[in-house]
Amino acid sequence: MITAKKHRSIESRHRRNGFLFILPWFIGVCLFFLKPLFQTVYFSFSKVSVDLGGFETKFVGFENYKYALFGSPEYLNNLMDSLSDFAYQIPIILILSFIIAVVLNSKFKGRSFFRSLYFIPVIIINSVVMQFLGNSSSVEELSGAAQSAYLGGLIDFEGLFLQMGIPVETTNLIFGYVNQIFDLIWQCGVQIVLFISGLQSIPEQLYEVSKVEGASKWEEFWYITVPMLGNSIVLVVIYTVVEFCVSQNNKVITQAYKVLLDQQIYDISSAMLWLYFAIIGSITATLFIVFYRLCLKKWQ
Amino acid sequence: MKKQKARYKRFTRSRFGNVVYSLILILAGLFTIIPLIYSVVTSFKPLDELLAFPPKFFVVRPTFKNFAALPELLSNLEVPLSRYIVNTLFVTTSITVLQVVVSSMAAFVTCQVKNRLTKTFFTLVQFALLYNGTTLAVPQYLIFTKIGIIDTYWAYILPAMASTMGVFLIKQFMDQNVPDVLIEAARIDGAGAGRIFWQLVMPLAKPAWLTLTLFSFQNAWAATGGNLIFSESMKTLPSVMGSVVSSGLARSGSAMAVTVLMMIPPILVYMFTQSNVLETMSSAGIKE
Repeated sequence: MITAKKHRSIESRHRRNGFLFILPWFIGVCLFFLKPLFQTVYFSFSKVSVDLGGFETKFVGFENYKYALFGSPEYLNNLMDSLSDFAYQIPIILILSFIIAVVLNSKFKGRSFFRSLYFIPVIIINSVVMQFLGNSSSVEELSGAAQSAYLGGLIDFEGLFLQMGIPVETTNLIFGYVNQIFDLIWQCGVQIVLFISGLQSIPEQLYEVSKVEGASKWEEFWYITVPMLGNSIVLVVIYTVVEFCVSQNNKVITQAYKVLLDQQIYDISSAMLWLYFAIIGSITATLFIVFYRLCLKKWQ
Repeated sequence: MKKQKARYKRFTRSRFGNVVYSLILILAGLFTIIPLIYSVVTSFKPLDELLAFPPKFFVVRPTFKNFAALPELLSNLEVPLSRYIVNTLFVTTSITVLQVVVSSMAAFVTCQVKNRLTKTFFTLVQFALLYNGTTLAVPQYLIFTKIGIIDTYWAYILPAMASTMGVFLIKQFMDQNVPDVLIEAARIDGAGAGRIFWQLVMPLAKPAWLTLTLFSFQNAWAATGGNLIFSESMKTLPSVMGSVVSSGLARSGSAMAVTVLMMIPPILVYMFTQSNVLETMSSAGIKE
């Protein structure tokens, strides 16, 4: 009887301790993340009017969404642009980071140097420099300044191209793409690390067996490397999609910010954002379901 | 030993493969490093070279003027520069420490408690990461006003408690590297939760929280307080430096100098933590 009681008290002490340990984080997430999050959902479904006392909200259903889609002049265009960016940037980032990861995963001199090198943009891109260049109020200026400051290195070649008599249109076209490669490679840092770790978790024996069985490098790649990376691919895709949605270059986000910060219209900007996230989210979810059904299940 | 070393020098078995591999490596490396080199080089350019058209990549006559002009540029501020520096140091360290400790504690618990409710909550928070932090600005502002911490250091520091990314990273690492058996053994030997956490779990999870230190430092270092801070004496270095950056073409050299200077601390922190970063990220990739 006594032992049982003692046992229970230790258990409950553990539980209390665990509770105390997680409490600060729980409060933080609820107060600074979840509550604001749900508030924006609520905003998106209601009419928000600002007066001296604070906010007044009135439930209006899908009114804001309707306005965002059909009433506001640029939203639909921005949405289409952003979705087409989504369609080509994410595969490119995936493939680029995968290629670099495969190269970095082979053994050669100075690979730890190169590994750190590719990670450096991650350190800088989120931090000071970018925010800095963006300190001038609007988001548009930010990307502009970042482009001219960071990609300015190429103006040199651009001038050269012009002097060589290549027409302006072609030059612009080429450098548009080159600038994008800069952007895209700079977004690969974390993905490369994730892929490398995935590659390293593939057991060496599989390759040895396949070598003994006489498989070519190509077959090794498609039948061992890619299937074994299934989970890493999922993780990288999630990470990339999140980064894409959070990016300042995103046109929908930019527009929503403008509405939010410059014009102080909270309801419509919330609706714009939630609509966008709903679309991106459902696309990603569909892709995952297809990927899971077609590939992961077969591979495992 | 020698044989081993020789093998490290080549990537693949064929010469063609080697060429392709090194090409990829060098090209991608260049794309990564050029913007960095360019900003460093530009910070040493004299004015006429900055404005030259077409601009040159490398500096012809390097000068320290851009850096030398900074003290003067920053001397006629409302508040002395030292105040901004102290603010930044204080805010950055408190955010980093708070975030690391709070996330590690939460990760420790989510690791230990394996009931469904905790897991579901955790997954939900993970998905919520998709939502852009800055879009929460307005509701957050309301909450901040309610608890009355607008225009205080708390406005910088408190949101750091809500790091979902940190908990995720550390939890994944702990799942892999802190065996339950060890904690159970410590518990049987009579160690309390605090002791287990500080003397057992934290040393074992060092790479994970060092990685979080890096990420949270780089974010904290850039913290400007946004619309939550008005008084000049509460502002941080990035917001002052930002005013130099946006002060026009004639000072673009100094702007670059500022950018380069502000880049140094995160890179230094990275150099100290880099070997741990890879280790942590590897465990993040392993599911369950």
